[in-house]
Amino acid sequence: MIFVTVGTHYHGFERLIKKMDEVSLKIDENVVMQIGNTEYEPKNCEYYKFVEEEQMLDLYKNSDVIVAHGGEGTLMDALSFVKPVIVVPRLKKFHEHTDDHQIEISEALESQGKVIVIYDVNRLENALVEAKKMSLQQTKKSKTLAKFLEDYLRELKI
Amino acid sequence: MKIALISSYGGHLNEIMQIVDVFKSYDYFFITYDNFRTRGMNEEKHLMDNIGKNPIKMIKAFIKFYSIYRNERPDVIVSTGSEIAIPAFILAKIMGIRSVYIETWCRVKTRSGTGKIVYYFSDIFLVQWPDLLDLYGPKAQYYGGVI
Repeated sequence: MIFVTVGTHYHGFERLIKKMDEVSLKIDENVVMQIGNTEYEPKNCEYYKFVEEEQMLDLYKNSDVIVAHGGEGTLMDALSFVKPVIVVPRLKKFHEHTDDHQIEISEALESQGKVIVIYDVNRLENALVEAKKMSLQQTKKSKTLAKFLEDYLRELKI
Repeated sequence: MKIALISSYGGHLNEIMQIVDVFKSYDYFFITYDNFRTRGMNEEKHLMDNIGKNPIKMIKAFIKFYSIYRNERPDVIVSTGSEIAIPAFILAKIMGIRSVYIETWCRVKTRSGTGKIVYYFSDIFLVQWPDLLDLYGPKAQYYGGVI
């Protein structure tokens, strides 16, 4: 199953949802989408506007590929499941966000080899094929920040 | 020791949840925005209106924070942003509450609007990507990311 998620942002993500709805007809896999505030209603796939946390985790768990917007919360969740992740950053010029900051984290994760990033949704079909070939590794959670905070709090001696 | 964990909902809240174990040996509570997800949180919490870019809601947030700080008397506040941290840190500075700001994970090479302001009001200022150290200045520290 391909799980598409665009988070809870108040802007819709018409470009991605429309394209994915179209692509779903050309591929064998089942596509499930969480479309958030997107106005376009998918005609060819199962979709939800918003999903409770527990169901969200199930959708991630049951997916073979995750297609996500570049929201940090979404990406943190998506990466924790060790599945191929394709990121489509929301862009200001398409009225998908107030600025282009989603590109920053998307590029950083791409340069670490953790995700595939596409800016043009016409590349989606190709990216889905590429995603299957990704070599995946469980990201080891960094503990240095937590350690710094623990020490800081302990030394306050309150 | 009492700690207030402050963030908007969505990704910023997700970030603070990644490091919540650090705070479990202390008395801690959340201050976040009211939303269908945050309403379901089991932890002790104060929910407020999403400030966004609305100046009136920003003023209301200052009043709300003042009343929360006065009633709860936190010793330390910790935040991963976003704009909810602006009233939180300015008031904390005025009221003598220690503060730790963690710049959001999604800022890799550019500063967030919130970070630019909170830099001047926080006791500890952390970034999650090393390129931001020079951009912010000497107070910024880097100890890796929340994940």
